[in-house]
Amino acid sequence: MKAPFSSYLQSICPAVTDLVNRLSDRYDYVSILSTDSVGFRISISQRSKMVSNSNITTERGNVVRVCRNGLYSEYAFNEFDPADIGRTAESISKELDRQLELLKTCGTEPYITPLLEDAPLVLFVEKETGSLPEEVDIGSIVEKFSALSDKGCKIVEHCIDCGVNGSSTHISKMFVSGNRCLKQSYVYTESNCFAYSADEKGEIKIAFDGVSGCGGPEIFDGLAGVLDQLPKTMNDLLSAEKIVPGEYEIVVDPGVAGLIAHEAFGHGVEMDMFVKERALGAEYIGKRVGSDLVTMHEGAKCAESVTAYAFDDEGTLAGDVTEIDRGILRAGICDALSALRLGTSATGNGKRESYSHKAYTRMTNTLFDSGDSTLEEMISSIKDGFLLRGSESGMEDPKHWGIQCIVSRGYEIKDGKLTGKVVSPIVMTGYVPDLLGSISMASADRGVFGNGMCGKGHKEWVKVADGGPYLKMKARLG
Amino acid sequence: MIEKLKSHLKSSGCDGWEIQETASVCWEFYFIRHKLDQHRVVREKNYDVKLYKSTDGGKYLGCASCRISPTANDEEIEKQIRDLVFQASLVKNPAYSLVSKKTDRPGKLDEVDVESICRDYINGILGVNETEGELINSFEIFAKEIERYTLNSNGVEYRCRYPSSTIELVINARNGSEEIELYRLLKSGTCDRKRLTSDIEKLMGYGRDRLKAIPTPRIKTGDVVFSTSDAAKIYSYFLNKMSAGSVYRKISDWKIGEPVCTGEGDKITLKAVSRLENSSMDFEVDEEGSEIFDRFIIRNGVAENYWGSRQFSQYVGLDRSSIVHNAVFEGGQKDKADVRTGDFLEVVEFSSFQVDFLSGEIAGEIRLGYLHKDGEVSVVTGGSVSGSMTDAAGTMEFSRETVQYDTMVIPEVTKLKALRISGAE
Repeated sequence: MKAPFSSYLQSICPAVTDLVNRLSDRYDYVSILSTDSVGFRISISQRSKMVSNSNITTERGNVVRVCRNGLYSEYAFNEFDPADIGRTAESISKELDRQLELLKTCGTEPYITPLLEDAPLVLFVEKETGSLPEEVDIGSIVEKFSALSDKGCKIVEHCIDCGVNGSSTHISKMFVSGNRCLKQSYVYTESNCFAYSADEKGEIKIAFDGVSGCGGPEIFDGLAGVLDQLPKTMNDLLSAEKIVPGEYEIVVDPGVAGLIAHEAFGHGVEMDMFVKERALGAEYIGKRVGSDLVTMHEGAKCAESVTAYAFDDEGTLAGDVTEIDRGILRAGICDALSALRLGTSATGNGKRESYSHKAYTRMTNTLFDSGDSTLEEMISSIKDGFLLRGSESGMEDPKHWGIQCIVSRGYEIKDGKLTGKVVSPIVMTGYVPDLLGSISMASADRGVFGNGMCGKGHKEWVKVADGGPYLKMKARLG
Repeated sequence: MIEKLKSHLKSSGCDGWEIQETASVCWEFYFIRHKLDQHRVVREKNYDVKLYKSTDGGKYLGCASCRISPTANDEEIEKQIRDLVFQASLVKNPAYSLVSKKTDRPGKLDEVDVESICRDYINGILGVNETEGELINSFEIFAKEIERYTLNSNGVEYRCRYPSSTIELVINARNGSEEIELYRLLKSGTCDRKRLTSDIEKLMGYGRDRLKAIPTPRIKTGDVVFSTSDAAKIYSYFLNKMSAGSVYRKISDWKIGEPVCTGEGDKITLKAVSRLENSSMDFEVDEEGSEIFDRFIIRNGVAENYWGSRQFSQYVGLDRSSIVHNAVFEGGQKDKADVRTGDFLEVVEFSSFQVDFLSGEIAGEIRLGYLHKDGEVSVVTGGSVSGSMTDAAGTMEFSRETVQYDTMVIPEVTKLKALRISGAE
């Protein structure tokens, strides 16, 4: 079925267009992004149960972007009276002018930016989905999650609790400017199973994994397979030792590969950081940053994941950028205003945490291409190292290309064989070009994972997906 | 809107409800160097509704929630509330009661001037003495006025208005062609210009030092000193372990009247307070309508009171409790100079320092540290620190002097012993 575009947005479209026209008398450029996204979040465990019809991406509101004399301003609001657009236009320009008065008294100057192009375009996209979050039977989902929780508690060793979190959102967004009217509607869903147990010292160990994708709550069907993996993961965690810090040869699973892609040349080539001279990547376009086996793509069109939109939050169509081609850094990703400042083209990566937040250059799907090796070949090629599984979190450092990835488990490899010894947790650090330059094998299969959120610095949380194949490399582990 | 919601809720057949109306205005300014990149206004009003339904003869109380848009029409509101009644009946949590005592405390309605807060930040940052070697790369200012109105089906009503501000700051330090950056995200009620200037000057000093940093040597294990906002994450571990939710979920086994950890280290004293000057959450009644009252959570290393939401507090047997937003950790026995003795690594910049309160695991990549060894100090970068609060909490040392980071007051200098340190050599 098609995910139907919001009837609310459809109803306010004439008023939004009217607002654009009225503001166009006072500004050189005007656009409005309006959102109406509905969904739910359910969390069921033995000790706590929760149902909410709000989640991190449900919202209804508008953000007006205007430009006058090269300075861009925005006004976000969620009280909207289509019958009184004149008053809305008046209050928007009045309050933005008050801010300009303050800036004058502080003696600040604007960063002059060219005018955004506004080529005529009309788009109406309703993506396919198996079901809609607003129509699904919540009772059956609660029942399904409860059954998984019950089963998990039985099969996971020393289980204190086992639960399931799931959310599904039907996104509708409308972008209107002087010459553009873009409308899109799609559904994404994500879910995870978790279990926690205590080891003999009383330390809590957490095993978790998830499923996600562009589609409705039918994606929860994949949870049964995820739950079945938790007992082994937990056993591994309970028997894990602490790692001896050092540099090792490693093989990373597709989830950890995705984390590396995201932290290394996801954040590293967000071009709003080029404008601020905060990213080393600006100086490396056309230069080698990885081995010949490293090809990386970024874009909402790269995979049908949680972030597979048709246009971004600035009205730029979704793209597919080849960031690294056989080890050579080719291109970055760019929001619309940064593109104007850098004299390049926007790539469809202008994203907002919600209508009320500023748009920044943000990632969508960040993926390593596959190779032609097998996991078995990779393991057998390692004399002393680890197979790393379970991506947890990471942090970028685009200015210096430092990277930090927290990984759940390392499986020891000696003389080409897994020994059965497990270490946990693992902090993987390194210098990005060294890390990517050391990639010597890549598997033929590939995974895409969309259960995570991504921040810019330590704020501005958006949905992203990442992934890749199994990769063999060298890294510092601690 | 409130009256409309109340009317729909009353006729819905539910067994209780809570409404929280939040109106906010935020002024935002984004600068690249000293030039204004963009300015923004955000005006929002939201209605968060929680609806409760009792099932199985009162054995369970289910809750379902949603956020209702101020533009929702009658039909949408009616459908949302109807859905909530059904959904709440699916949620089988053991029964508990909503707040029933109307607070005697008068509403706290601060006069908030977002324009003046922004002016203080802009003038404060642009007034910093930059040099050829240390300069401001970019900054973002967010100054918000929040007005919250909380009410429930038992007649509880409370209104508060307070400021909340955030600044994201990036500082560069350079030496010829070499340039590094340092990042801070600072949150508070309003702008404290004196503190802002001193934080930026300190950051610039770190920048100068990082330019001469050498790779962290292989140390394997060692004592690590924390003296920046990262230390707040260590103290949050204690606060989270004492939450009624953690105890009920068996994530925490800390028991009232028992020591929270064993060892020869300094003993934690943690006090929950309702008011904390210039905190971004300076109000006296929590989001459920419970009065926030001052009390010890941990005293001299012994667990004294759990804290938490109405639901979990009742599950662990508390009649009177609240959510804790502001926490004060008392200082230790030693001056900060005495904590900084012996061989240790003081890390002042991590990529992202993390303390997982569930597992107690500690991890962070070192961006800038000062390695004190045999009376010598070297500036180091790279590698990581890792360990476990379960092992380190009992032997931690902290200074007599304290410092405030937004909603928390903590000792200025904290030492965790025998952490794993992976070098970068």
